[in-house]
Amino acid sequence: MPSPASPPTPQADLAALAAAFGERLHAAGVPVTPERMIRFAEAVLLAGPRTIPEAYWIGRVTLLTGHFQIPVYDRVFDEYFRGYVDLVEDTRTSPSQPASPLDAGERAPRDTGAQQSGASRSPITSATPGLDARGDADTEEMSLLAAASTSERLATRDFSECSPEELALLRQLVERLPLIPPRRRGRRLRRNARGDRLDVRATLRRAYRTGGDPVHRAHRRHSERPRRVVLIADVSGSMEPYARVYLHLMRGAVRSLGSEAFVFATRLTRLTRHLAAGGPDYAYAKVAESTPDWAGGTRIGAALTRFLDEHGRRGVARGAIVVIVSDGWEIGDPGEVGEAMRRLGRLAHHVIWVNPRSAAAEFQPLAGGMAAALPHVDTFLSGHSVRALEELLAAIREAGERRRG
Amino acid sequence: MTESNDALEDRLPDVDSLARDLEQTGYLADPGLATALFCAVRLPQPLLLEGEAGVGKTQAAKALAGILDTPLIRLQCFEGIDAAEALYEWNYARQLLGIRLAEARGDGLEESSLFSRDYLVERPLLQAVEHRGPRPVVLLIDEVDRADEEFEAFLFELLAESAVTIPEIGTLRAHHRPIVILTSNRTRDLHDALKRRCLYHWIDYPTLEHATAIVRRRVPEANDRLVSQIASAVSRLRTIDLQKPPGIAEAIDWVHAAVLLGIQELDAEAVQRTLGSVLKYREDHDVAVEAGLAWVSGA
Repeated sequence: MPSPASPPTPQADLAALAAAFGERLHAAGVPVTPERMIRFAEAVLLAGPRTIPEAYWIGRVTLLTGHFQIPVYDRVFDEYFRGYVDLVEDTRTSPSQPASPLDAGERAPRDTGAQQSGASRSPITSATPGLDARGDADTEEMSLLAAASTSERLATRDFSECSPEELALLRQLVERLPLIPPRRRGRRLRRNARGDRLDVRATLRRAYRTGGDPVHRAHRRHSERPRRVVLIADVSGSMEPYARVYLHLMRGAVRSLGSEAFVFATRLTRLTRHLAAGGPDYAYAKVAESTPDWAGGTRIGAALTRFLDEHGRRGVARGAIVVIVSDGWEIGDPGEVGEAMRRLGRLAHHVIWVNPRSAAAEFQPLAGGMAAALPHVDTFLSGHSVRALEELLAAIREAGERRRG
Repeated sequence: MTESNDALEDRLPDVDSLARDLEQTGYLADPGLATALFCAVRLPQPLLLEGEAGVGKTQAAKALAGILDTPLIRLQCFEGIDAAEALYEWNYARQLLGIRLAEARGDGLEESSLFSRDYLVERPLLQAVEHRGPRPVVLLIDEVDRADEEFEAFLFELLAESAVTIPEIGTLRAHHRPIVILTSNRTRDLHDALKRRCLYHWIDYPTLEHATAIVRRRVPEANDRLVSQIASAVSRLRTIDLQKPPGIAEAIDWVHAAVLLGIQELDAEAVQRTLGSVLKYREDHDVAVEAGLAWVSGA
């Protein structure tokens, strides 16, 4: 339904724009359904926004379902539309007043590094304002192909520096990572040719064939059982570029290793069932829903204490390999992190802490929570790229065999 | 249907004209709310308004009905509300009378005639569906968070299809799709299924100038100085730790009270006399007194 005021924008471009924006928002944790994207596109056609603030309000009204989503929306909108400056104006007249309502400096609490990467990930948007959406689509497709052909390059790339398209590719890479269950020694003894204990019963039975002399000896050894793996990921704002990739890893682990999966920002949420039942998108929506403080601060200590009280000491963490993915930015008391980690260290077989920020050359574990946790961590890894994830998986595998030290 | 849509398009060609019309009725809407109302009318799509108590959620629906020159049908939700109170009810007394009458006359009585429109009591939702035009009604479902979760399910058919099903009669489809506005104070989270069907807008407490303009508009008899003093006093009160921070509605009440008492200028003593119209909790009173009434008055 073209309204008389609407500019001669080709509808397909608008659809692509709405879908892309909705996708970006979805990736940031606001569960945007296709239905809402359609509504957004319809409303844009109907109201014909001429300035960025007008587009801002139309998106906010049509795409959100709750008050708590507004900060995320503000940030994504700012990132997405700042490059376009005036999306509708551009297609009709000369570049006009950059009437951005959003002062990035005061609104976005993220560091400048993230801002820069935001700019570098969309060179098209910042380059020429006159470029139409179709051109964008082509270039994006090209870059996508380029990315696909150089998965080697991607493998070492920091997740936080990847564009959404690259991240989608990465997720496929992550899903294909080989997950080999770590083993632990079982209680039972099984017959085994290389066993170190004599299987008296089998040896005697074999002895019947040789006239009662135990010529052929049989051996036994302890059987091996898969060791439980527990994954706990930080999904707060500072971990956002990594959270999504780790959800895919968790999904693989839950499905193939029977792992337990948890996420936290300020509260702890058990995701095992969601990941086992649905796709990562479903799980992502669940996280966003059950974590209204999504992208807020992190209470690592409180979340870990809750994990220990409600799950860990009931058996989930006992003898398990516990992997914690977090940058250690604690807004609460770092002492609580230390105490929780001490308890966890006593329960678990092996504690692995993955801090994607530690890949940076100038990294020092100065974040309060990180410093408090380190003494109780058995293995400390970065896990910021696919290569690093492979290291993590190897560490999990080895940790199963290693005796406690 | 098309006629009414034309009429709506004429009345509301764009967001700006909607905001201007609202202003003429005395309701000052910020661009966000104007956009939300515009989309609700023109898409059309139910609109869920959330915000603290007293930011003008209910008033927005009233003002919208005002500029569209169409009736406002209001359903106030409460705990335990059910279909009989929201949708329809059979007029049992009248049905009994009908039976007695038929007996006295010696007529045969068809059961279907007992369950016809004549015996139907229309409650707000059904009224909204049955409205004959020329323009759609504004249906305000107020404080939907107070109703039980199960009640939300009653609304789905209305929200998605603009239809209401009465088992004995069948499905009644709206002649003019009602403009549905739901409000919630967020005392509990609404169900996803309900939110999915709605546009969403969060009304924030307005900025100081905006609040001043609204109060001035609503209480024209008050002098400008008093109005701006009270608007700043309310925003000062909102910075201290109150159980119920005062909203725009309280600011308006306050100005009314001050005008009634003949107060020309807000000082500590005037605050003391009128504080009851803004703060409705004993504890909040104590907090305000502790912060200093002179500070509140801005003197």
